[in-house]
Amino acid sequence: LPMAFRDVNARRHIGLQQLSALALTGRTLLGPMKSCKFIVDESTNQSTLICSAVRLIESLDLTSAAGQLLNETIQAQNKEFRTGMSTLLFLIGAWSSAVLECLQQNVPVSAIVSVMSEGLNSCCERVQCLQISIHDVNKELCSSSVRPNAFKSKTCQIGCDSLLDPHIFLYVQKDISAPEEVIPVNPCSHQEDDSNFNKRLLSSLASLGSIASLVKPAGDKSTSWISGSGVIASNCNKQKLTHSRYFSTLRKSHFSSQQGSFQGYLSGRSADPCECYGLGHLAMALSHGNQTSVKLLQSIVAYQRERAECSGSSQFNIAGIVTCCLLGLPESYSCVSPGFVTLVSPEQTTVIKYFEDKPLRILLMDGDLTEQYRHLGFNRPCNVRTILEHPSLPEGKADLWLSSMLDILISFEVNLVLVKGNVCENLMERCIANSILVIGSVTQDVLCAFGEVTSAQPVTYLTQLNASCVGSGAQVGLWKACDGRAMDLGELVPVRIKVQGIPLLTAVLTTTVASKMQLIEDQFWTLAYRLHHALHDEKVFLGGGAAELLCLSHIQMLAKQPLQPSNKNAVREFHNPCLAASATEYTSVVLQALASGWKQYLSVVMCNTAKAASELEACTSVDHHLKKAAECGSPSAYILKEFRRGDLLRGGSGPFADDGEGLKVYDNVTAKTEAWRRALDLVLLVLQTDAEIITGPKRNQLLNSHVSSEFMFL
Amino acid sequence: MSCLEAKKPPLFISEPLTKDTVSQSLSLLNGILKSCYGPAGRLKQLHNGVGGYVCTTSQSSAIFSRLSVSHPVLRVLTASVQNHISRFSDCGLFTAILCCSMIENFKSLNIATWTVIKISKHLLSVCMDYLKSEACGCRVSVDFSSLETLLCLVRSVLRSKPACMLNKPEVEHLTALILKAFLFTVPCHVETNAVLGKCVIVPVKGRRVVDSTVLPGLLIETPEIQLAKPLTVKRSCSNMIKMALFCVSLSGDLFSAEEGTITVHHGISLEKSELNRLLNVGKQLVNDEVGLVVCQKVIHPSLKQYLEENHVMAVDRAGLSLMEPLSWMTGSKPIASVHLLSPSCYGSLKDVRIESFASKRFVHLIPNDTVVCSLILCNRNETAWDELKRACETAEHVLQLTIKEPLALLGGGCTETHLASYIRHKSCSLPTSSFKDLDCSRTQYQLVADGFCRSLESVACSLNHDDGEILTDMVYGHCWFVPSGFPSVSNWSDLVSKCGCGINGNTENLNWRLLQGQFGSPITQGCPKDPTGKVADFLTLDCFAAKCSGLQVALETANMILDLSYVIEDQN
Repeated sequence: LPMAFRDVNARRHIGLQQLSALALTGRTLLGPMKSCKFIVDESTNQSTLICSAVRLIESLDLTSAAGQLLNETIQAQNKEFRTGMSTLLFLIGAWSSAVLECLQQNVPVSAIVSVMSEGLNSCCERVQCLQISIHDVNKELCSSSVRPNAFKSKTCQIGCDSLLDPHIFLYVQKDISAPEEVIPVNPCSHQEDDSNFNKRLLSSLASLGSIASLVKPAGDKSTSWISGSGVIASNCNKQKLTHSRYFSTLRKSHFSSQQGSFQGYLSGRSADPCECYGLGHLAMALSHGNQTSVKLLQSIVAYQRERAECSGSSQFNIAGIVTCCLLGLPESYSCVSPGFVTLVSPEQTTVIKYFEDKPLRILLMDGDLTEQYRHLGFNRPCNVRTILEHPSLPEGKADLWLSSMLDILISFEVNLVLVKGNVCENLMERCIANSILVIGSVTQDVLCAFGEVTSAQPVTYLTQLNASCVGSGAQVGLWKACDGRAMDLGELVPVRIKVQGIPLLTAVLTTTVASKMQLIEDQFWTLAYRLHHALHDEKVFLGGGAAELLCLSHIQMLAKQPLQPSNKNAVREFHNPCLAASATEYTSVVLQALASGWKQYLSVVMCNTAKAASELEACTSVDHHLKKAAECGSPSAYILKEFRRGDLLRGGSGPFADDGEGLKVYDNVTAKTEAWRRALDLVLLVLQTDAEIITGPKRNQLLNSHVSSEFMFL
Repeated sequence: MSCLEAKKPPLFISEPLTKDTVSQSLSLLNGILKSCYGPAGRLKQLHNGVGGYVCTTSQSSAIFSRLSVSHPVLRVLTASVQNHISRFSDCGLFTAILCCSMIENFKSLNIATWTVIKISKHLLSVCMDYLKSEACGCRVSVDFSSLETLLCLVRSVLRSKPACMLNKPEVEHLTALILKAFLFTVPCHVETNAVLGKCVIVPVKGRRVVDSTVLPGLLIETPEIQLAKPLTVKRSCSNMIKMALFCVSLSGDLFSAEEGTITVHHGISLEKSELNRLLNVGKQLVNDEVGLVVCQKVIHPSLKQYLEENHVMAVDRAGLSLMEPLSWMTGSKPIASVHLLSPSCYGSLKDVRIESFASKRFVHLIPNDTVVCSLILCNRNETAWDELKRACETAEHVLQLTIKEPLALLGGGCTETHLASYIRHKSCSLPTSSFKDLDCSRTQYQLVADGFCRSLESVACSLNHDDGEILTDMVYGHCWFVPSGFPSVSNWSDLVSKCGCGINGNTENLNWRLLQGQFGSPITQGCPKDPTGKVADFLTLDCFAAKCSGLQVALETANMILDLSYVIEDQN
């Protein structure tokens, strides 16, 4: 039985009020400096630590229709991009309240809808000039990393990079050693580049002495690593490392004699300037200050590039990454391990120790490994009765199954079984006794990765098994932390399974604080997906508020000159001056509402990052930039210039800015513009709603409740 | 001990329409529906009030399917509107609003019901004759050799659903896609009985609308398939892929005997014998050189493994909705039993590929002849996607109805006001003999005609939601909208630019008048002119068949409800 419920006063739209109230809770989650929140459940006294819009929304009570739609919108953005949810949440709130103000001023709903959506469209087109292709970004980041200060932060990083697995460490080293080579030798290869670059080059040459001294410790370190592991030193990286070693000890005068060999080497590389730096810098620029994740991601990138060079696969493969959360280790123990790291019960460690360094035969199972399990879609017969003719059977039925399964595993000489679902505990015990390692709850992606390199074919039942299903070449060992000791975390033990050439990397995330675990994992994935989407888009936005600032200045212009191309359609219809004037009046009010969303966004980000003491101060600063941009004639040129100086909103984002030298910050293109669009869509969807129709049993409850006067019943 | 309760006597309600509750509910329903109407219509959130899925919509199909009204009079109304929607998809709100308005307008006349019914039936026949005549000024013929009118039809459907949250470029993109999909379903070689193919909508939620696309053939979602693996599908001698289509489950479960118990000896496994039977089917499929096996339900993993080892591709869980187009497209007969496998059941395919959209993976079946296509439909969130899906289905249906009867009516309220002008003109010039035939006086006729016209005009008025004025002109009888915030004494020609459907511009003095508020005063109306000759690019057009049916359904339902004299409710 349905009922119709109308908002009593259209000027005070209840849905919009709900949206803006809900979104207000996410204010401190905006920008690179997020403040965590404790969500306390009063009924159970349990609390959760959250630091992202998704987790916030998950823990809120959202039974109202607007709340449901808000949840749906945030989840959709999360599912698609894994980033931009805080922006989305904030803009939903900001635009809801801005639209409420428009309603107060009697602007018709249809005018709000059409002007806002046209305005956003026009802004999205306008900010395209702040998009930079990944290719150019890498070039840009290369040149900027030559600058002494940035470089310093790099070398510092090497110090703490020791948490990486040894041979990954080398690839990170390769990244860092590269700029050393470019500076002195190759001013000509970049001659066609903009003068900006040359200028920077000159300045870096001037300060070369200081670079050399800075680099030295790094170089020393890398040599010691090489001597420590001869195998690695003999691979293709040797040449570069040699150069860097020379570089760190030689003075300028020696370069001329070396030039020939450098030149030959560099001409090969200069064809693709990105190659020498990989995606590590890009990851850094997208991280917005999340350093732990950056380091993990940089080593993932380095590892995957090495693989890509051999196999020609894509640069960055997010499907080849899994995470393993280890609670009880300090955060500095986080690292990346090739292969699959997971937790097993302590009973299995004996099997693992027995297997250490032996090549194992591996079996993949895509269901549960229990007697009762049947594949999806199998209907169990309910009317079958089994009768026993000989009541005294030597063993029970369950035992029969166990031993037959074990026989199969033994006859195919399987050592390692990865199971997607659950594993029967009795079988697990029998397997341990027979030195077979069975690991349950393995994801589909991991199974695929193992299937690819071991040529194992996943099966659903053990009875399906034939020789071609079993793969080989897997290795199992206890996972060891960077200081070489195997971890014993009490109940569960981390193990590492690897196969030569497996395209799978595990980011081992560690923390001693249980409530931070989820947060750390979320942050890691956010950054990984940012990099993934940047590569997928093949372009990024200038970050640190550049896009929002340009939107603001663009709206200023739209409001002044309504005869912009984007607005032409709307205006052409009113060829009459009287009509056009009225349309313009509404237009400017609505455009201001649209602008206020971004303005609040910028000021809240500045407050959260302590770039401004108050929102008022932040707004003044934004206005100051807007004024200067307008005076400059070309706002985009002004914003680009400020961005290059790193001075946009006083450094913009992250702790790097404190070095005095702003490190470049970039944002995802699609994720950002989609977050804007989704935010506006939701606000306009709720704005256009004038009634709720409640169906089902709730209707009768309402009929008898004290609020029944607010409702109309059909 | 059983408890007996005396039967309650049935409840008689006489003259239900005179009751306050009914007229209140009716006007509430009318208000809800009117507020939904048109491109600027307000949306409704339909939900259960306890945190369930929220359906945000302004479409009649969604509202009526969830709205269960309590009063029998309203139930008569909703049932006939729903019946109209199921046959035509479009013009549901038009029908419902017109019906409600007619009931309200006719009820307020102080004329005997049977006279009203007789006169209104006559008025309807005048309307229908006019709409079907060549002289009709509010219809355009649809030329299938050019795309423009067809695009206008589709665009009008999409633009009238604001909850789809489409901006202009997105409307254009989808309009083109829907038309493309429709053209795929038109067979190339037409014999005596031409049958349109089918367009299957594949959901990809969470994506931008512009990522939507149309592919010939069918897509079956297969989450487990690996993109990296190259496809090896066996082909027959003519380079076609032989295909078997199963509608019976191949999961290896026992066919359920409805009653009784099966008793088996220990050590005998029914499951195993069933699997052996399946493997025999597999063997036969391999022997028959089948390259692709598609199953509506689940295929047993062992059978899958066997087929794949023999280079036969196996795709399961295709779902019931795909079975008909699959069998149609490939010429294969769905196999309903594993016991009988006749080679005549097999169909054929041109190619099989793997496609991926967003995070979803599909097997793409490409036929020789494309009368079946897949529209991969994307929208950013669930509620907007659902609305968009309904809109696309409506647009597709409108095109199908239009190919049968290549006509369209002017939209944007113009058909309604034009028809009202025509009726007003006709009712003045009706010969006296007609009144005798209808057994009524001229005054009665004109009162009913006025109510009829005002009902039509109130539908046009429902298009306006921002308290502006609505005008009609005395030359073409079209509908014009004045934005809000202007005094109604202004010179109208300064304030209007284009009529509702977009065919007439503000080029001459068309003698505008307010559409509402002139009750009682008779309007002298010349016969409205046909504006053809002026060709505009962006016309708002409505489906001819759906609107004609809507007009008839509305009037007949209104007459039936007016004629109700008793409601008898069984209270047990």
